[in-house]
Amino acid sequence: MARIAVYFACIAKIPGPKQTVQMNRSNLIHPSRVTSLLLLPALALCGFSAPARSQAPEAEELFEKKIRPLFVRHCMACHNSELATAGLDLSTAEGFRRGMGGNPLISVESVSQSRLLKAVRYQDAVKMPPAGQLDPAEIADLETWIGLGAPWPKAMAETGEAPEVSTGLWSLEPVADPGPPPVARQDWARTPIDRFVLAKLEEQNLEPAPPADKLTLLRRATFDLTGLPPSVQDIERFLNDTSPDAFDKVIGRLLDSPRYGEHWGRHWLDVARYADSTGNDEDHKYPHAWRYRDYVIDVFNRDLPYNEFILEQIAGDLLPRTGHLEIDRRRIIATGFLALGPKAIAQQDKIRMVYDVYDEQLDVVSRSVLGLSITCARCHDHKFDPILTRDYYSLISVFASTRSFVDPTSHVSEMFMKPLVLPEEHQVYLDHKKKIDDRKQAQGKLVEKEKERFAEAESRRLADYMLAAHRIYAQGADPAELSRTLELKESILERWAGYLKPGQGFRPHLLAWRRSGEDQRPSVARDYQDKFRAQFHEWNGELEAWRQRVEKSGPDEAKEDRPRFIPGRDRFFHEVYLQGNPRDESYQTPFILKPGDTELFSEEHRETIVRLQEEIEQLEKEAPAEPDMANAVEDGKVVEQKVFVRGDPANRGEDAPKTSPRVFDTRCRPMEASQGSGRLQLARWLIQPEHPLTARVMVNRVWHWHFGQGLVRTPDNFGAKGEPPTHPRLLDFLARKFTENGWSVKSLHRLIMRSRAYQMASARSELTARTDPRNLWLSHFPRRRLKVEEIRDGMLALDDSLDLKMGGTLQSGTGYQPENSSERLSIDPETQRLRTIYLPLRRANLPPLLALFDFGDATTSSGERLQTNVAPQALFMLNSQFVETRSRVLAELLLNDPNSDDRERLNLAHLRTLSRYPRGEELDQALDYIRGFQERSPGHESRLQGWQSYCKALLSSNAFMYVD
Amino acid sequence: MLRASAGGFGFLGLAGLLAEESGLLASPSGNPLAERPPHFKPRARRVIFLFMHGGPSGIDILDPKERLTRDHGKPLPIERPLAFDDENPAGPLMQSPWEFRPGGRSGLPISDLFPHVRDCADDLCVIRSMVGEGVDHGAAMLQTFTGTSTFVRPSMGSWVVYGLGTENQNLPGFIMIKPALSHGGAKNWGSAFLPGAYQGTAVGHGGLYVKDVRKEPIRYLLNERYSPELARYELDMLQNINRRHRQMRRHDPELEARIQAFELAFRMQAAAPEVFEVEKESEPTRRLYGLDDPLTADFGWQCLLARRMAERGVRYIQCTHTYMPGGVGWDQHGELYAKHTDNARQVDRPIAGLLKDLKGRGLLEDTLVIWAGEFGRTPVSQNGDGRDHNPYGYSIWMAGGGVKGGIAYGATDEFGYHAVEDRMHIHDFHATMLHLLGIDHEKLTYTYGGRNFRLTDVAGVVAHKILA
Repeated sequence: MARIAVYFACIAKIPGPKQTVQMNRSNLIHPSRVTSLLLLPALALCGFSAPARSQAPEAEELFEKKIRPLFVRHCMACHNSELATAGLDLSTAEGFRRGMGGNPLISVESVSQSRLLKAVRYQDAVKMPPAGQLDPAEIADLETWIGLGAPWPKAMAETGEAPEVSTGLWSLEPVADPGPPPVARQDWARTPIDRFVLAKLEEQNLEPAPPADKLTLLRRATFDLTGLPPSVQDIERFLNDTSPDAFDKVIGRLLDSPRYGEHWGRHWLDVARYADSTGNDEDHKYPHAWRYRDYVIDVFNRDLPYNEFILEQIAGDLLPRTGHLEIDRRRIIATGFLALGPKAIAQQDKIRMVYDVYDEQLDVVSRSVLGLSITCARCHDHKFDPILTRDYYSLISVFASTRSFVDPTSHVSEMFMKPLVLPEEHQVYLDHKKKIDDRKQAQGKLVEKEKERFAEAESRRLADYMLAAHRIYAQGADPAELSRTLELKESILERWAGYLKPGQGFRPHLLAWRRSGEDQRPSVARDYQDKFRAQFHEWNGELEAWRQRVEKSGPDEAKEDRPRFIPGRDRFFHEVYLQGNPRDESYQTPFILKPGDTELFSEEHRETIVRLQEEIEQLEKEAPAEPDMANAVEDGKVVEQKVFVRGDPANRGEDAPKTSPRVFDTRCRPMEASQGSGRLQLARWLIQPEHPLTARVMVNRVWHWHFGQGLVRTPDNFGAKGEPPTHPRLLDFLARKFTENGWSVKSLHRLIMRSRAYQMASARSELTARTDPRNLWLSHFPRRRLKVEEIRDGMLALDDSLDLKMGGTLQSGTGYQPENSSERLSIDPETQRLRTIYLPLRRANLPPLLALFDFGDATTSSGERLQTNVAPQALFMLNSQFVETRSRVLAELLLNDPNSDDRERLNLAHLRTLSRYPRGEELDQALDYIRGFQERSPGHESRLQGWQSYCKALLSSNAFMYVD
Repeated sequence: MLRASAGGFGFLGLAGLLAEESGLLASPSGNPLAERPPHFKPRARRVIFLFMHGGPSGIDILDPKERLTRDHGKPLPIERPLAFDDENPAGPLMQSPWEFRPGGRSGLPISDLFPHVRDCADDLCVIRSMVGEGVDHGAAMLQTFTGTSTFVRPSMGSWVVYGLGTENQNLPGFIMIKPALSHGGAKNWGSAFLPGAYQGTAVGHGGLYVKDVRKEPIRYLLNERYSPELARYELDMLQNINRRHRQMRRHDPELEARIQAFELAFRMQAAAPEVFEVEKESEPTRRLYGLDDPLTADFGWQCLLARRMAERGVRYIQCTHTYMPGGVGWDQHGELYAKHTDNARQVDRPIAGLLKDLKGRGLLEDTLVIWAGEFGRTPVSQNGDGRDHNPYGYSIWMAGGGVKGGIAYGATDEFGYHAVEDRMHIHDFHATMLHLLGIDHEKLTYTYGGRNFRLTDVAGVVAHKILA
């Protein structure tokens, strides 16, 4: 298998040295020529793919792996090109050679006498680094490196050489217009695709497999287009249809089914790394993500041309308004593509955070549409593909001018959401909300005044409250009676008892109270009262001073400098009077007043507070529903981006004007001069028919999803590190057809599925197993395991339990409310009956079922899924409630038909699960098995259980799990 | 390459791949979890990671700072690095509310928060110079467990099992007991681009009570409906269908691999439940772990379960003390004294019990026990009586598994803010852990998306000074 072990560091987090190495483009290694290089041990994990010009690879490897990182970590904070402390700059080869004020750092003749070594060994007056001696291993590395002559490979930018833009990269060549090649077996080829495939097979001396039988083909096509098994009616209709275009009709029927968009939309959602939460750190909800998901499903069902689809996802909000609300809404929702990526919104280095977001947005665009990972150029010119760091920042400039946050600088950055109604309608909602907020504020002020008054009065008896409370929680006294005899307020006394009673964690501020014996208790209570009142007056003094300041200076400054009570200043006071009860929300701490505490308010304010409360409740009742919103983007302030040298925002380099990567300039029209963010121009640049990548990448994806493998085996990587196409002319033929047919994905399906290549059997011959084990030349149709959605939805569908409701969300809440652990889970797919695509996905806690069957991580754009076979998957089949229920429902369905006999039941069981009739010996064996089961497990349900067990075996079998 | 192999891979494909990727020998059986020899002689054969979620304060537990006592209440005289919570600005220097006392014969100082663990001081290798980059919990945890704070990468448990396989084929090789679902959640034990066989298996999660976890400790593991005989009868039918299916489809190793996966699963479901039968432990053992006290019973159960798993050859086990029911986590922006006291009470006895029990059974020698949070806490106060996050210099400890006992390695500055001596970045910590397991962290690599990845990225230096 062609693989090259190449390592490079994307130093996104630590501003480090350029990781670029001298690279002669002609040395770029083509994957197919690489195998022999694997024998070189130095390449196992080395700094570069291509042998560099002058120095031995081992020495350079040492430098890149050990020495340069060592300089960065330990030295360059001071010894860099800007500070050059003590005249030393260790960031470049020149600086290193210059040494300290012209005195060289090393002596190649006498390595151990090198000044550098003496300093790091602390043998010299100068001891470096000052923060602590280097590790012995690091010092040894330095010594070795100096012994090798201290080679310092030059980075591209240091040499001033730009990489040549002519790369020999096949995917950047213009899309050819090839006619189908001549073939020997004219009779086999039905469509042009077949001639391309057959020509390769003939070249390789391989035979195409025979055609698949009718039922195999039906099952293949139905799973392929809808992710579901064919129904019994579908099977019968197809078997009975002997017309020559019977299969064409099947294709048409499946493409017209709404189930098609649900299945193919899911393919795209993998590419769009779709999920319903931010993932990375706090995993906040994207409350409106589902609208983007529904949009994608709709796009596939309506066969929206792929070029428009890309345009809408990147710049839908910038297209001229049509006046059709649905279309204009849809185009805002489409930009969820950019908005819904993983984000670390609690990250405190906010510059880094926003640039990580821009990077992620560029990544999803470049991988999904272009099949290139442009973001490797964040810190250094791309190692393998002809993308310069300047190109990267030119594109980043587009996303830096795009708004994804309301306010990125808030502690947890608030994400941008866009209303999907007309501005006037949104204003009505905002105005109404303001009416409520105003009243709440007015009410809050009054309640605060009341609280002050109340606490002033009641805290004079604080000690009495505490002592009485003790009698309640420790001795079981009756609060009603106690409050009567002591003339305390009963409700407040109960709060005191609840607050003071032990068993609520360790509260050091109550230790004195807790430890006081019967005799000291009154005086200790008195101490608490005195301290409370002192604190109370001090705090009120601070507040009052502030209020007077506000009166003088106006309300603008009010919010800013309102004094905050630092809780640790007095925990007791803070809990009793300010914070409430953090440990238990079932009751308040003693001196907290809420609008509902009417009986505690003074005559003066009671009526107003109550009236405001009524108004608030009334207004809340009348409040218009929150308008539909979308997690979307819009244009922000236009940023004139500079290159960040080595990815470091503090290190600004040259200008990076908004434009497309230079390497494309000779191949298609460059991006037009940008307006605003430039997203619209970027999108238009991507969808021009002359673009060498956009159509190729998509037709390869479609081929991959049909065949389980693309013509390019790395559907997400069309760069030098990807594999070249096995059938380059077929790829170009399809790309041409695709754009000629108006970028219609459904036309592409028809083109592919009508071919003989698609309709071959999956049988692998002895010869191909030996000579073409990867089935590169398509001598047979590749068998594939069902994806997790197909497993789950398929099992639900085949016993008629699948809920076909489309759209909407099962997730509620805005995502900013605190959540407890179980709310952070995704909804368990095993308890739901909707199609899997409609279940919300929390990135940090994907449902275990999805992870178990290789769903991927919903975080990185990916057009292909792994297929693994491991024991935990088998345990799911054997023991999960889900498979148990499915098999039981199926068995009941079979047994509930009084008009059928057991053989008919078995026919139906096989048709529903495996889409074929059982063979003779299978029938007998199954009947034996069910009888045997009943004998082994007698009881009133034993017949049902026997049937259930057989159904479970069918559902667990390879025959169900694989599509031929 | 993995992602390009036609139609996915079965065991056979994967094994070959492992051999090529990691330089480790693939097992002849082709099972991705089969034991593989390490790069060199290991000091530890397994890891038990005791994770304290929220960030316990090293300067109040393991790293005494006289200067804080002396200058209590004075402003911090050095520049303050990026903090997490600027809405509650930092106060002055705050002394530790706990006394430090020497423990064991080594006299290693440990504060009164952990009196029981202090009894085991001679087994502890305290590292006082940990350094990470994440200032918020999510970033810090991702980096602690995956090496990076911003990307999605395989977790260290996945790397370990990928490198070494596991000793007991009837149990998962990498188990997370009651993990936290917040701050990265399953990403902290995910396998990312490594094959799914290497992802951690969760036993419940942090939000559950032990009694609920015990009902179904590992999803899908238990078959309570059938007797073993009946389950075998059903499996025979299934395998019958599978073999007939395979006979008509030659030359497809995947089909056979799936048949074998069912046999393995069947053995697992028979053998695995026994490991959870904690109640079969003797009364003194259960007491040793604090199962007799409601305060310590949760973490005690975790620790005792971890020992049972270690005994049975699970490669990597993690216990988590988190924001569990009735718990508050170690994130004390306020009320440090009260809440650290609560937290420490819940874990101190169970941890000491685990160390003593492992030692008594001769397991400590080749079991590396690690105690750590995602970062430490600042020497300056917050909210008057709390501390903010501090990833710039914090303390953890290791025990057993080839580390020196009774020593403190590295040092922070006089305030306990920055690590200054023998700094151990999280990458170095990972490199050292892998080294103890007999793995060269630079050779344990995996190719993905055209790049060779490893746990330690481009960094990582083994801390040779702590090796016994």
